Amino acid sequence: MLTVDQVSKSFGIVRALERVSISIRPHEIVGLIGENGAGKSTLMRILSGSMRPDSGTISIDGKPVVLRNTRHANENGIAMVFQEQSLLLNMPVADNIHLAQERPFMRLGLLRRQRMLDAARQHLAKVGLDIDPAIKAGELDFAARQMVELAKALALEERTDAPLTILLDEPTSVLESRDIAILFDRMRALTARASFLFVSHRLDEVLEISDRVYVMKDGAVVAERPARGSTVSELHAMMVGRELHAEYYREGRQVPPQPEPVLEARGLGVRGAFRDVDFTLRRGEVLGIAGVIGSGREELTRTLFGFLPQTDGTLRVDGREVVLRTPMQAVAAGIGYIPRERRVEGLVMDLSVAANVTLASLGIAMRHGIIDHARERAIARDWIQRLRIRTPSAAQICRNLSGGNQQKIVLARWMTARSHIMILDHPTRGLDVGAKEEVYDLVRALSADGVAIVLTSDTLEETIGLCHTILVMRDGAITGRFDAPAGAKPSQLQLLEHMV
Amino acid sequence: MPAAERPLATAEIVQRVRPFAPVLLLLAIVLGISIAEPGFARFNILSVILSDASLLFVLATGMTFVIMLGGIDLSVQAAASFSSMVVAELLPHLGYLAFPLTVLVGLVVGFGSGFVHVKLRISSFVATLATGGIMTGLSLLMEDGRSVSILDAGRAQSTWVTGAWLFNIPNIIVIAGLVAIGGMLLQRYTRFGRYSTAIGAGEPAARAAGISVDRYKMIAFALSGACAALGGVLLAARLASGSPDLANQLLLPTIAAVVVGGTAITGGIGSVGRTVVGALIVSMVRIGMTFVGVNIFAQQIVFGAALVLAVAITIDRGKIAIIK
Repeated sequence: MLTVDQVSKSFGIVRALERVSISIRPHEIVGLIGENGAGKSTLMRILSGSMRPDSGTISIDGKPVVLRNTRHANENGIAMVFQEQSLLLNMPVADNIHLAQERPFMRLGLLRRQRMLDAARQHLAKVGLDIDPAIKAGELDFAARQMVELAKALALEERTDAPLTILLDEPTSVLESRDIAILFDRMRALTARASFLFVSHRLDEVLEISDRVYVMKDGAVVAERPARGSTVSELHAMMVGRELHAEYYREGRQVPPQPEPVLEARGLGVRGAFRDVDFTLRRGEVLGIAGVIGSGREELTRTLFGFLPQTDGTLRVDGREVVLRTPMQAVAAGIGYIPRERRVEGLVMDLSVAANVTLASLGIAMRHGIIDHARERAIARDWIQRLRIRTPSAAQICRNLSGGNQQKIVLARWMTARSHIMILDHPTRGLDVGAKEEVYDLVRALSADGVAIVLTSDTLEETIGLCHTILVMRDGAITGRFDAPAGAKPSQLQLLEHMV
Repeated sequence: MPAAERPLATAEIVQRVRPFAPVLLLLAIVLGISIAEPGFARFNILSVILSDASLLFVLATGMTFVIMLGGIDLSVQAAASFSSMVVAELLPHLGYLAFPLTVLVGLVVGFGSGFVHVKLRISSFVATLATGGIMTGLSLLMEDGRSVSILDAGRAQSTWVTGAWLFNIPNIIVIAGLVAIGGMLLQRYTRFGRYSTAIGAGEPAARAAGISVDRYKMIAFALSGACAALGGVLLAARLASGSPDLANQLLLPTIAAVVVGGTAITGGIGSVGRTVVGALIVSMVRIGMTFVGVNIFAQQIVFGAALVLAVAITIDRGKIAIIK
């Protein structure tokens, strides 16, 4: 049994963990939930050996241990499966599984490859993955790589007598429902060999897979519940300290779209990704695109902003035909893009708030071809106020702001550029519940202002809650169209039928 | 617990002081040399150092923009040498017109490097190494590897570089001053300046904001080519000749001037102002050592050590996960 007793950790004046105590029994799956910043990641890092607690003890079967580093944690039977996968994509699967653990396969300083491949095959069998361990990790899809990670964690069995505990950090956040089901099946089967600590934002999943659930809030464990008999809204309430109310998606503020079409796709396609996509997006309309990975919806989203040029069909903006080969052309056509990778495609993290706000329309901060810094600051301050962006000043570097505030700055940029079509690509990914709700507010406000929105989301619930119209895609084609007016929303099941 | 607080306080002081580290280093060097050799801080010695720094700075200005964008221009010394040949060849025929024309040639050649880098998707390291090689070859072909002297008429036309019209200050320092002001204005007040910083700090985000990344990259390389050509012109005027290897040994000091000044070699952080300080540091170390009497063979050791020291204290490496 793995026990964490009264562990605390501070960063400067911020208390990340406040006397946290949890235990993981053999063969058990323990869920760990909490908003962003609740302390889950810090706890995981301490357990995986990459960080030391300021005080408190960790013990294994009653014996206190100090986990000096990741390798030492491994030797004590604790392995972490990372959210951002840790596999080296240019190396074979077998080498990945045994990375830095090649010694058992060495003879006279040479690697006995066949033995390593055989051992890898064994570990892969434990997770039910039937692949050739000699192929490169990069050739596998995301779900398969996750399984390889799991197999890598299970390979620890060979090296330690300690009971095995596997830490899973948001393993489902980028998996589609079918792959999640497979992962959960494997986890249940593997409880014969190991116990799991499972961290996820998706409360329904946590309840489905876990035996017990710990709820963290502000660096402390606020509740421990058996999964059986607990409900999502109960856990949610403990996590955020308030109820998940019916108005979560601001349905009451959903107003019908205006009649003018702003973005029309006819027979739109990208060879090898999607085809024959028809839709008409009207002023103020929120159009959702639902579908599993591989359905073509991600590619469609990227095509609408010029990242992925269309190969077939036509696209019209305000009645005029456009061809979007680059994001620059999309911006010129009045389209804005809010990416899922906020830190990569959203903001230039080392530039100021003001410079990021004017990045897509620097012209309005210029006079006679010269940047007017005072005017630029004034524009930024105006948005800071209107969107309630929490930043010390317009000169603040964006890197230091929270995810929700960064997302608002991206939005402020497109509003400054007067974009009247907005592509929201998983806009709430990685945001905590409070920040998500602010995004929902903004979506409603944009829509009421006549901005047309195309939205893809991590959850069907969010798509249904926010959109006027939903397109469902499968295998590169549209398989269903749903109206989703306030008060008469389609169910998740109705959409799912067309997705798989 | 005081033991836990002390490293934090130190870290904070380091954080505060870091942006001024190059300036402090420069002052320390000046002070050090002045103490070792009291005659150092005299007008004519300072003007020698400043003249040397001016040349370096002109080359480094264009380089600053390229490095800010996240690239590198290894063709500057080849471009400067090539330009010295071009200007020396053109002067007898075209007179004053030879100077702007040579800078224009540098601009076009730099644009060519940028085009190769951006459109053919070859890393700037390789692209500029290649275009630099081509320019060296052209310079050698021009006069069969020989240099070209600038004769009396040309020398008379070169006094805008070699003279000292203002209070006995060498004109080359004034030229560098104008380039510095131009570079700073370009960086702070123009679209190109803003976008080059944005691209260096986060290219995907800049692209997604609708910035034509390719265009601004090519402009930066063109600018670097023009600066290198201006450097070649200054060098040719001072030495009264053009030669295929005139600017040899200037590439590393140029990059050093940018980096020692505090511009991150990874891009996104830095400024032309910092390069002014960097060029002064590099020249100060180079000439100061001779002045103090450091063995000429040992100078490279001091120079290398100073470079490591300057870069180590200037940029906060904590934020850079992997150094390549």
